[in-house]
Amino acid sequence: METMVATAPAGFALPKADQRAGKYLTFHLGNEEFAIQVLRVREIMGIQEITAVPQTPGYVKGVINLRGKVIPVVDLRLKFGLAELEYTPRTCIIVVQIESDSGKLMIGVIVDAVSEVLTLQPGDIEDTPDFGSGVATPYLLGMAKIKGKVKILLDINMVLSSQDLQALPSF
Amino acid sequence: MSSEPESKTQAPPPAPSKASSSNALASDPELLNDFILESREHLTSIELQLLVLDQDPAHAEAIHSIFRGFHTIKGMAGFLDLDAVRELAHEVETVLDLARNSRITITSAIIDRILESKDYLNGWMSELEAMLATGKAPFVPGHAGLLEAIRQLGAAALAGSSPEAAPGAAASRVGKPSLAPDAEQRATTKPAPPPESPPSGLAELARELASASGPEAAEPAAPAVPESAEPGKPVETHSTSARAIKVDTGKLDYLVDMVGEMVIAQSLVRHDPDLAGGLKPRLARNLSQLSRITDEVQRTAMSMRMIPIGQLFQKTARLVRDLSRKASKQVELELSGEETELDRNIVEELADPLMHMVRNAVDHGIESPEQREKAGKPRTARVTLRAGHQAGQIMIQVSDDGRGLDREKILAKARERKLLADDAPLSDTEVFNLIFHPGFSTAEKITDVSGRGVGMDVVRKHVQKLRGRIDILSKRGEGTTFVLKLPLTLAIIDGLVVGVGSQRYIVPIYAVREMLKPAEEAISTVHGREEMAMIRGALVPVVRLHRRFQVQPRHENPWESLLIVSESGGKQFCLMVDELIGKQEVVIKSLGEGLRNIAGVAGGAILGDGRVGLILDLEGLFGVHRGE
Repeated sequence: METMVATAPAGFALPKADQRAGKYLTFHLGNEEFAIQVLRVREIMGIQEITAVPQTPGYVKGVINLRGKVIPVVDLRLKFGLAELEYTPRTCIIVVQIESDSGKLMIGVIVDAVSEVLTLQPGDIEDTPDFGSGVATPYLLGMAKIKGKVKILLDINMVLSSQDLQALPSF
Repeated sequence: MSSEPESKTQAPPPAPSKASSSNALASDPELLNDFILESREHLTSIELQLLVLDQDPAHAEAIHSIFRGFHTIKGMAGFLDLDAVRELAHEVETVLDLARNSRITITSAIIDRILESKDYLNGWMSELEAMLATGKAPFVPGHAGLLEAIRQLGAAALAGSSPEAAPGAAASRVGKPSLAPDAEQRATTKPAPPPESPPSGLAELARELASASGPEAAEPAAPAVPESAEPGKPVETHSTSARAIKVDTGKLDYLVDMVGEMVIAQSLVRHDPDLAGGLKPRLARNLSQLSRITDEVQRTAMSMRMIPIGQLFQKTARLVRDLSRKASKQVELELSGEETELDRNIVEELADPLMHMVRNAVDHGIESPEQREKAGKPRTARVTLRAGHQAGQIMIQVSDDGRGLDREKILAKARERKLLADDAPLSDTEVFNLIFHPGFSTAEKITDVSGRGVGMDVVRKHVQKLRGRIDILSKRGEGTTFVLKLPLTLAIIDGLVVGVGSQRYIVPIYAVREMLKPAEEAISTVHGREEMAMIRGALVPVVRLHRRFQVQPRHENPWESLLIVSESGGKQFCLMVDELIGKQEVVIKSLGEGLRNIAGVAGGAILGDGRVGLILDLEGLFGVHRGE
């Protein structure tokens, strides 16, 4: 379902919105509230010590041990170009499963705080407004307005495509 | 083979296999058991691939895969003297070979037939298993009908018939001799008994098959097992399989992961601050008991994955002996590095490619004693298998002192197969690599053992699966060497845990020559930038790990730090780290998809406190240092 959404051609507002309906996990980054599909989420854990990995983009914080598996962790603030923030007890790592060319992949995503799980109806979801040129929004599924607050729906698969993790060219 | 027809109600015609085969088998139950396990595995994957093919008859990868499966079974059966199995596998392979070269298309009739063959072979495996358990000679229904049907299928499809017409065409030809496309191949099989009446159509054909070879051939495998046993006496196949079982390596990996977690959890409990002050004796006793048990479990789980490569080498010894006798060549096998321990996953994956490489060496590489004498070489050829650790990798060499690869012949063949443009200038390495193409073979005649070029294809597939690489070194008239380099992934290594600033890294111990804290006057700078350390009278370049990895070190001065002396490409260098923390046996884990190719990092490992430590690849680090 999700992959269909990601690749659906533009201009099919209604069916697109239908497919986007469902359960979402919402979280904070700075003042903004984001939401990702619950189906993608494997688990949520508190912030823990992360082993830095050299020659990676700044938003790749390193790797952690997820019950014997080594998975990379990405700081979503840095990924979105927001200012780096000291981690607090509310800082969370959301472990998501994404689909890459070579199969399923687990990645940890650092967010400021996790808030709740929401069920979004098709009527709650609007298309991403056109920000004009210069703002690439391929990973935005749309916007949801709940109780007067705007939540940004993320296609986490697009945010964390595996090329983005790729090591920087060696020095 | 037909030792107890009286136990059967409808006795099929006597099985065409040689009576002598059971004698040969009985002599080596271990080998036979390996054969059964391996064939079962292949048959399972064949079935899966057939089902894929059923959905998409043009699925090239599936055809290749099925072909390779039968090819391997054929090879193994060949040297175990299991003629019936070998013949059938050979016929199926012939049909698949046609499909592989796009000379025929796969129809559902062909798939049916191959599935039947697969079931038939499965029945054989059960029989052999029963034989191992009870010592009874196997009783397997005749396979002549099936054999003939497959031959017909290939011939019919080749004759250009449309898929619908194929079965009918095949049926109308049942019984006529010599319709197989390759006379050479036919010569290796026995002629099938012709059926009584000329059939018409597929249903007729099936009935024909049934009457020609007993009901088992038409509806094989399942009934073959119970019927073979003495009435009222259960077949004890389970007792045999209990001696060795194939475990999904994924499960094994998971087990090792989980045991690692358990050890860490256990140590967390032990060192829990709440328990720190004065343990009650009973709790203390129980805790240390728990820790002993966890250690034991961990050791066992780890050891389940490590086996010396010697076992694998021994298998090839037998192969070389049989092959050389068959080809009337004199070959001596030399083994070294048998004690090299490899991850079981790697050893298992290596079995097939190693067998193919050795087969290739004996069959193609080595000349006949007469030719060797003419070339001024000793009559007895030499095949060498070598294993060892080199430069942070596992290296396995298969060399022969035979005729070497023929560059021109390979080129000609490649052009004929339109694998490359006529005038493409190629280096020797590029030319040699052509032999890894599926279906590429320069051998003029197809033999039972090798010659379809399928071997090298399999070899490369397997090596790639292990994320390794294979290189060919060859000199005309002097021999060929296959060099297999496998990465450390999956392997468990002894590592030194070192600290730089707040980070910890693991240095594979085999890469370490020595460690030292240098005297201040032993350090000198070159051009104010490059640093050298005087170690035992030699100047050795210093690589500062903290600069490579951009972390904040605790000491900037080499004489306050620790130097780890290592070697890369024959050159010594030292790695500067803050301190040595300890020594630990670790399981190498991949850092995951995106983080695979980081220079200087071989992978990650879970340390004692549950955190991840990066495993250093010293070769890569120094390579980066040198600007490579």
